[in-house]
Amino acid sequence: MKQLKKLASVFFLGFLFISLAACSLEGPGQGGTNSGSGSDSDSLTIGLSVSTLNNPFFVALRDGVIAEAEANGINVEIVDAQDDAAKQVNDVEDLLTAGVDILIINPTDSAAIATAVESANAQGVPVITLDRSSDGGDVVTFIASDNVAGGEQAAQFIIDQLGENATVVELQGIPGASATRERGQGFNNLAASLNIVASQSANFDRGEGLNVMENILQAQPDVAAVFAHNDEMALGALEAINASGRDIMVIGFDGNDDALASISNGGMAATVAQQPDVMGQLAVQTALQIHNGETPQAQISAPLRLVTE
Amino acid sequence: MQATKTKNSLPSVLKNLGPLVGLIVLVVFISILNPRFIQSQNILNLLRQVSINALIAFGMTFVILTGGIDLSVGATLALSSALSAGLMVSGVPAIVAILAGIALGALLGAVNGLLITVGKMAPFIATLATMTLFRGLTLVYTDGNPITGLGDSVLFQMMGRGYVFGFIPFPVFIVLITFVGLFVLLHKTPFGRKTYAIGGNEKASFISGIKVDRMKLIIYSLSGALSALAGIILSSRLNSAQPNAGNAFELDAIAAVVLGGTSLTGGKGKILGTLIGVLIIGVLNNGLNLLGVSSFYQQVVKGVVILIAVLLDRKN
Amino acid sequence: MNVVMKDIHKSFGSNQVLQGVDFEIRDGEIHALMGENGAGKSTLMNILTGLHPKNSGTIYIDGKETSYANPKEAEKAGITFIHQELNIWHDMSVLENLFIGKEIKKKTGLVDNREMKRLAALQFEKLGITIPLEKPAGKCSVGEQQMIEIAKALMTDCKILIMDEPTAALTERETEKLFSVIDSLQASGVAIVYISHRMEEIFRICDRITVMRDGKSVDTKNIPDTSFEEVVKKMVGRELTDRFPKRSPKIGEVVFEAQNLHGNGFKDVNFSLRRGEIVGVAGLMGAGRTEIMRTIFGLDAKHKGKTFVNGKEVNIKNPKQAVAHGIGFVTEDRKTEGLILDFSVRENISIPSLKSLTGKGLLKRKQEDDFSEELIKKLTVKTASREIPVKSLSGGNQQKVVIAKWIGVGSKILILDEPTRGVDVGAKREIYQLMNELTAQGVSILMVSSELPEILGMSDRILVVHEGKINGELMQVEATQEKIMTYATGGR
Repeated sequence: MKQLKKLASVFFLGFLFISLAACSLEGPGQGGTNSGSGSDSDSLTIGLSVSTLNNPFFVALRDGVIAEAEANGINVEIVDAQDDAAKQVNDVEDLLTAGVDILIINPTDSAAIATAVESANAQGVPVITLDRSSDGGDVVTFIASDNVAGGEQAAQFIIDQLGENATVVELQGIPGASATRERGQGFNNLAASLNIVASQSANFDRGEGLNVMENILQAQPDVAAVFAHNDEMALGALEAINASGRDIMVIGFDGNDDALASISNGGMAATVAQQPDVMGQLAVQTALQIHNGETPQAQISAPLRLVTE
Repeated sequence: MQATKTKNSLPSVLKNLGPLVGLIVLVVFISILNPRFIQSQNILNLLRQVSINALIAFGMTFVILTGGIDLSVGATLALSSALSAGLMVSGVPAIVAILAGIALGALLGAVNGLLITVGKMAPFIATLATMTLFRGLTLVYTDGNPITGLGDSVLFQMMGRGYVFGFIPFPVFIVLITFVGLFVLLHKTPFGRKTYAIGGNEKASFISGIKVDRMKLIIYSLSGALSALAGIILSSRLNSAQPNAGNAFELDAIAAVVLGGTSLTGGKGKILGTLIGVLIIGVLNNGLNLLGVSSFYQQVVKGVVILIAVLLDRKN
Repeated sequence: MNVVMKDIHKSFGSNQVLQGVDFEIRDGEIHALMGENGAGKSTLMNILTGLHPKNSGTIYIDGKETSYANPKEAEKAGITFIHQELNIWHDMSVLENLFIGKEIKKKTGLVDNREMKRLAALQFEKLGITIPLEKPAGKCSVGEQQMIEIAKALMTDCKILIMDEPTAALTERETEKLFSVIDSLQASGVAIVYISHRMEEIFRICDRITVMRDGKSVDTKNIPDTSFEEVVKKMVGRELTDRFPKRSPKIGEVVFEAQNLHGNGFKDVNFSLRRGEIVGVAGLMGAGRTEIMRTIFGLDAKHKGKTFVNGKEVNIKNPKQAVAHGIGFVTEDRKTEGLILDFSVRENISIPSLKSLTGKGLLKRKQEDDFSEELIKKLTVKTASREIPVKSLSGGNQQKVVIAKWIGVGSKILILDEPTRGVDVGAKREIYQLMNELTAQGVSILMVSSELPEILGMSDRILVVHEGKINGELMQVEATQEKIMTYATGGR
């Protein structure tokens, strides 16, 4: 008995030693092509990995993918990462195992998704990214709303309505987030024609939009318009403005349901509406192009629509 | 002697088999519906996927065996992996950064342990508070942004993405080593015996001369260190440290421990059971994805499986 | 209101607690109920107030056969039991405590605080109590809490008030206050059942006394017709049979000594224990015996004083240190403090000794098996195997397992707190036998017990504790139950 134990521990230590000497970054079957069944054109299967389905924007995006895929007789396998970067990497691996032909990924985080994109590359599965891209690996096509153009659209709208040099407040999103950077950049491209009196972050949050706007209203006696980087902050700012009794034009971004309702009720003036369903549609069309051997554009801008009524 | 031994251990063997039988049934069931599931490539994927939850759940097993709970594991994972990523970005050698991350995890665990022993707080409350605290500190440290550009240290890349013998994913290898170590610790050393004793009857253990407070401090530190190790594997897999990494990981870990037959009141349970519990959760996640089950239904199924497991455990 | 209880029997499982008790409460009298711990006083009152059902016998209330289904029903009829552990919600105000469960409501369904305050103030005035109604009850002294309970009882038109050891935790002044309240209650026609161990109090305030012993009512007498001596004799008047094995102690040098020891619930305790000696520690419940033991073992902090083991001063701050000094503690409640019920017999025995059973960091299983097997044999623990869970053993054998773990770790001084509680008669004798064998091998024993025969039958020397002090020390030859009871109730 004792001898057996000794033998076992010697064996275990030996195993440890040998295995540590046998480490590598090379996995099994890497470099090969996808052995999936979907190589014949009739049964194209797309894998869709969504960052979260807890947000109407991404639900609409998914629905756009499903609708377009059905119209073209394509199968879709959908996984939901629930905003967890680690789960998304697992999800993508599972989709690869399930044998999808093309991957559409809406990453929770562009850095974290890189390894998943690399595994797809290793198996020869083309990757399309939606809304956010990947920092690593090869992505065939990246589809996103043109946030810079959206920011410019908002600025232009203010100039059209109030003339040049109108006093404007900018409510920024989470500092450092790509949407914040790009929307702000577009807006500021036309800033020369506007008088921006305040630029502060309200973290894409409605409550913070309210607080920040209240503070700005205290400090700034003369404000003609507010541009918020998303609708949530715009709606918060609108509450602050209504409470103050002042008449200030509010422009948001995204086009969510609350904002659209507010616009038709005469609350907000406008929103730069994204069209997630169109993004989904574009993704499936791109996938079809890849499947048919064509080379799609590396970057596709999903159209934005300025909603004013 | 021999006869009584078999007689007494037979029901307990059956009881221990419960989770294993459940796991086998699941594997067979999913394999029939989708044969791709049982392919070696997928099994290795699956094992890599569960390795993070496994490490956390191992630590949680010790904590729950003493009758406690650690809700802060997910936040500990986030904070310690953020720290080690930050060190790596600033050019500190990977090995040092990794060890520093694990040390921080142990330290955060020790904070929990001190609150529970010296502060005499209920573990649920203490770790609920530190969960929020650590999560907040992570956001402060990372400024809400992922930490990227972790350098090209082979060691660090190995942690999450490497292979041993060209086919065993490195995280799986780490889990195996850790499991063997913790198995011996729990079942073959005085430390393990005392862990069970504290969960079985803390008062009697104290009166018998066990330093209950010190044991708890060590066990919560162990839980923190294992969470940190899991965090480093995670950031290697994601090639970045995420500010909200490990969100709700504590729940998966607790679920795995409970699925493995460990009693939440402490004193009863096995670390092998936890490993099986981890695999059950992993098989469910992976298998349901392969079967194309909608993520909404996946959560329903997971909830039902946990309920059934606990109900069966009650009956025993 | 007049209560007659006739031939009441009650058993809990196989344990016969009451075996034919007669008890009577007359209108407006103060009736003392006396007896040793476990004589069945509280059980009898719990049967009267409907907490426990009786097995047989009859209760007549005002001549009519009655039995209450629960204490609430009894309370409605006018019988209230104030237990020794007061029913006080510490975080609620005095007012809320007074009306808990019977809050007065307005028509709207909201609580009518004004009316409740008015009634409470009225009642407090009657009793001459001055406690602010808004004060949190937990901030009140025990005496005040008792007054709250009494006021609460009177609020429901109480006719018979049962008090269990009401003065146990009161200061002298509070006791005087209680007595004057009792006097005024009697004057207003309330009858009182007064359960107490304190002879002086009973002879001072009571009209009649009933003595109980071993679940039977022994006698009822008018106070003026009896005496301290007679009551004590009746309380303990049981014959010592050969329940105790013969002891032939070989007593050696002093192995433990306490000097001027102060702690929670006791003060200025001095005593010594010699090699091979059994020192019995007698006293009433709550006298501070267990507290002294806990402090010696490092479970409670000592306030001042010194302890010596083998002539050397030791400062024991936790059980681990006590174990290191060779002290073992078999606690009063073996299920919550002595054993890990889900652990096997082997695992329970080896717990304090794990260190010596470890080699190279690993537990030596074979050695542990032999170790536990040897102790099981030595202490004649009856178990099918060392591997079965200790919870499946009988009470006596569980107790032996607790003792075994201390002997195993090499304890030379054993503290046994109520070692035979919940143990059947046969097993008791085995434990006594074991104590004799252990002392013959040089172990010394401090035995706390509430069973006087056990104290008398097993001790070489007896310490009697009264209100946190050692009120008397008796050698085995001079000790009698009467002497012990006299010391234990504060006499000299």
